[in-house]
Amino acid sequence: MTDRLTRDALEGLASSLSEPGWMTERRHGAFDLFEKLDMPDPKGDEWRYVDVRDFDFGQFDVPAVGGKGVELPAEVADRGVIFTDLATAATQHAELFKEHYFTEVPTDEHRFTALHGAFVSEGFFLYVPRGVEVELPLEAFHTVAPGGSVFPHATIVVDENASLTVVDSFRSEDSDRPALCASVVEVEARRGSTVNYISLQRWGRNVHHFQTQRFTGHRDSTVRSLAVNLGSTFARTQVESVLTGEGSFSEMLGLYFADADQHFAQRTLQNHAAPHAVSDLLYKGALKERSTSEYSGLIKVAKQAQGTDAYQANRNLVLSEESKARSIPQLEIEANEVRCTHGATVSPVEEEHLFYLMSRGIDRVTAQKLVVFGFFGEVLDRIRVPAVRDELADAISSKVEGSQVLEMSA
Amino acid sequence: MSDPLLHIEGLRVEVEGREILKGLDLTLDKGEIHAIMGPNGSGKSTLAYVLTGRPGYEVTAGKIAYNGENILDLAPDERAQKGIFLAFQYPTEVPGVSVVNFMRTAYNATHPDDQKSAMQFRMYLQEKIDLLEIPTELVDRYVNQGFSGGEKKRNEILQMAVLQPQLAVMDETDSGLDIDALKHVSAGVNKLANDEVGILLITHYQRLLNYIRPDKVHVLMAGRIVRTGGFDLAERLEAEGYAGIAAELGLTDEEIAELRSAEAKV
Repeated sequence: MTDRLTRDALEGLASSLSEPGWMTERRHGAFDLFEKLDMPDPKGDEWRYVDVRDFDFGQFDVPAVGGKGVELPAEVADRGVIFTDLATAATQHAELFKEHYFTEVPTDEHRFTALHGAFVSEGFFLYVPRGVEVELPLEAFHTVAPGGSVFPHATIVVDENASLTVVDSFRSEDSDRPALCASVVEVEARRGSTVNYISLQRWGRNVHHFQTQRFTGHRDSTVRSLAVNLGSTFARTQVESVLTGEGSFSEMLGLYFADADQHFAQRTLQNHAAPHAVSDLLYKGALKERSTSEYSGLIKVAKQAQGTDAYQANRNLVLSEESKARSIPQLEIEANEVRCTHGATVSPVEEEHLFYLMSRGIDRVTAQKLVVFGFFGEVLDRIRVPAVRDELADAISSKVEGSQVLEMSA
Repeated sequence: MSDPLLHIEGLRVEVEGREILKGLDLTLDKGEIHAIMGPNGSGKSTLAYVLTGRPGYEVTAGKIAYNGENILDLAPDERAQKGIFLAFQYPTEVPGVSVVNFMRTAYNATHPDDQKSAMQFRMYLQEKIDLLEIPTELVDRYVNQGFSGGEKKRNEILQMAVLQPQLAVMDETDSGLDIDALKHVSAGVNKLANDEVGILLITHYQRLLNYIRPDKVHVLMAGRIVRTGGFDLAERLEAEGYAGIAAELGLTDEEIAELRSAEAKV
């Protein structure tokens, strides 16, 4: 029998990773928390409508060790960039790593971050020194076996006036055996730096995906995040930008397209803690067949964060009568000089649009495709990595084409 | 004799259970420009939509023959593929879809024997842009999104130039335009008018006809063509208004009252 996610399994994982003792101790601490914590409350703000109280952790095998690893192009390594697996980071860059590992996202946030802390199985530490601009996107890939589990962790530190783009991909084959991914991404953008982080969740069916991403932006930094959810059966993505530095900027993009019985839940936080910072959030999703989604987003402006500009928009395009999208924007503003807008829409493909396109000779299915592409265009156009944009265009196209709903209404 | 381009006979159309067109007759030949003038609520836009097959417009009697073929059972895209084009009174905004992408998709759908690549289409489109003197940047924007009234109408004319229909129905192409925009749009239509296309100009006002001279003017009132004449008929309408003609036609008091109230709203 394969091991499940037990404390014994944790010991086995830790010893096979040959990591320093403090990391293993931290695992035990996290496992204690995991045992102690209750499941997230579907009535609370953060997990509103996301009911995982019956989630069965006992059904997953222990994670495979190490994952695919990451590769650092030589010319980037020469400039002092560190991009390495966690155990290597812990031995070769002990102090730097220890200073940042699990600082932005502590393990005690909820049971999934606790379990993640106990079983971190792969991931990377990425450090870009002061003033170094990494132009090529750095990439990491994660996968999971049928019935298995994976706990990817990313700790990213971009030093002053440096810049970086990271693409983090999650892919596996469809399977009838459920698998689990609990992932944490923690990013520190120091003064004047620029970070683009893209997560591409394209798991096969039957994966359950839980991810927490947190970005801290210091003075005059720019943080751009893109959270893509296309795969899995169930995905919950939590993305938080903490604007701690004056004049910092955060762009938060989300793109999701659910079909069949997929369920996506997304939670965002624009946390303004410093004056004159700007956050601009746009999450767009399409739903077809019986799929469902929840979006809940909070803009929080602290008392001292005068001159804040915060924008938040969540748009949903519903392509079938059975699919459902729910959207809950929230504001919590303590400063008095702020500019905030938030808006949420859930709407079907407009017959008016289809008629206009069809009146030019375009058949109904093609017209629907154009409208869906058009809907996502606003996000796609803002993606700065052309390969990612192309990959997403293909993925959207095949999602639309695979649609029975579109044929039905033709 | 070959069939006329468009032949409408005894056309009755209901929208949401209410009869709007009440026995309309009209014949248009290739190479001709006909104006359909009428007050608000007379059924002008209904005629435009029923020709293009808009859902919700139910034909209860009569026929529409296009090049001798009954088109009533055809979907909007099938009609367009046969060469029917509507310049919309209120062109629809389609978010995120660029004009150039939209037009190329439409061109290839309506020209199965002349499929154009993105590059080929760009060159073809540029010719039309130059012909109509339209700012090139327009075609890289999203369809009608953030367009001014004039830009929307120009974009409709550009689509007509690109698709080269045989029958072009222009629904109040003059509405909402200032005089310069009106001249510009009219010049575009004149450049596209030729022996191979029939144009139906639907308008409330005579001023458009100062720039696009019709071969015939029809007056549409209470769902029927009630008068047909030349340009002088349009001038008379401008001078006297629609109510005058209505009285002369022996429309019922109720119908006249309806007309007056509709005109008062303008």
